[in-house]
Amino acid sequence: MIELRHDALEISFPELHRDARLRIDFQRTLRLPDDGREYPLPAGLGRFPLRHVDDFADRLPEAWRRHGGVLLPMYQAEAMWLNFRSPAGYPFAVKIAAGKINAASGETWREGLHRDPQDYCAVPGQPWLDGFCVAKGVVRQFVAAPLGMGATAEEQLTGEAEHGGLQILAHPLKAKIWRREKRLVFAERAESPLVEACATPVAMGLAPGGRMRQEIYADPRDLADWDQRVRARCFVHLASSLTWKSITGELPPNRPLGASSYAAAGIPWFDYYDAELKALGGAAALAGLKSTSEFEDLLPDDGEEAWVTPPIVLKDPRGRRSVREF
Amino acid sequence: MTDEPSSKDSPFGAMIRELREARQAADRSYSLRQLALRVGVEPSYLSKVERGETPPPSEAKIQLLARELGEDPDLLLALAGKVSSDLQAVIRRRPQLFAALIRELKDLPDQSVLRLVREVRDGDW
Repeated sequence: MIELRHDALEISFPELHRDARLRIDFQRTLRLPDDGREYPLPAGLGRFPLRHVDDFADRLPEAWRRHGGVLLPMYQAEAMWLNFRSPAGYPFAVKIAAGKINAASGETWREGLHRDPQDYCAVPGQPWLDGFCVAKGVVRQFVAAPLGMGATAEEQLTGEAEHGGLQILAHPLKAKIWRREKRLVFAERAESPLVEACATPVAMGLAPGGRMRQEIYADPRDLADWDQRVRARCFVHLASSLTWKSITGELPPNRPLGASSYAAAGIPWFDYYDAELKALGGAAALAGLKSTSEFEDLLPDDGEEAWVTPPIVLKDPRGRRSVREF
Repeated sequence: MTDEPSSKDSPFGAMIRELREARQAADRSYSLRQLALRVGVEPSYLSKVERGETPPPSEAKIQLLARELGEDPDLLLALAGKVSSDLQAVIRRRPQLFAALIRELKDLPDQSVLRLVREVRDGDW
């Protein structure tokens, strides 16, 4: 089941195990320049608000009501990343798609989990996902674009602006494997102190933006370890911030921070590595996507923004809690 | 003094009359006679229901009244002292679990009850 709590999706499988809980929230962040350089990971600048589609059904298009799920507001060309957290460390396989284009494999949406290419992230090994995996260790940032401009990954790969939004599918680890591993972890923990626990809404999709260093890790488990008899799915609709108030009656968040403000505030940048995991190669289909900078009407005029070399990089080695929100 | 029943004795009847009269003020098709015809009962019967002179009608008729009057059918059923058949079926499947759950929830504020049951709906995509 999925609940909405404090602007996060709370996925749980209480019938399997009380530890089988996963939180996913959607972080506002700095949009990187799409200049071919590779950047570290910008901080999270707060969660996007999430609301039930069913609460605003009379103000939303029929397709949104049919999809169900939740909606959140994004400004045109605003960037986001996804934050995964399993409070008890229970493993989940999480498939993420934008406009039903898989962010890891570049394939069109398929139910279930697959390898060759791997089409999901294994959490908690993967704490964050910032964009489309275009090469080994490189993603291109998730950047909001109105459907119909041709900029989204969906439109570039399928020629259609049909789905938009984000699609999420989670399968938990089989409970019997978790029970076995948990006993081992507790045994190890005793020896190792380092282990820690109304207007018509303008539908948006996600286009590939600037490049950043992020690895999507290959799943070290057997595919059969995941419990594919159960699943949780959610369609996350992206509404234009300009129409958010007319849908929900609430003001949208302020405009996202620009590069100068980010630098002036001394907000750090992040890097994450895990020496024990291998990175997936990029998806060939995603590597060929056009850059957001080729869509002149998409990006706001922010020519005065002074881009500086990221001044601070915080590494996040294994074993430390992966907090990246600022 | 009179022993005649009044709609005050029947919260269901009082609610139906209040809802119907509120709509009738703006729309004449909500006269007692026309509403009774649409729901498939005699006007005299609906009049007696409104005045609390006869017990509330069947679940099916209450569902029709709720649809006509734009009211929540579960609310009207509760006022009529009934529980909808789909809820009865749910309880019959696991009677002890739901009896315990409902007793557990009875004193919680609405917000807490809603939080317990509110799931993000997965649709067709």
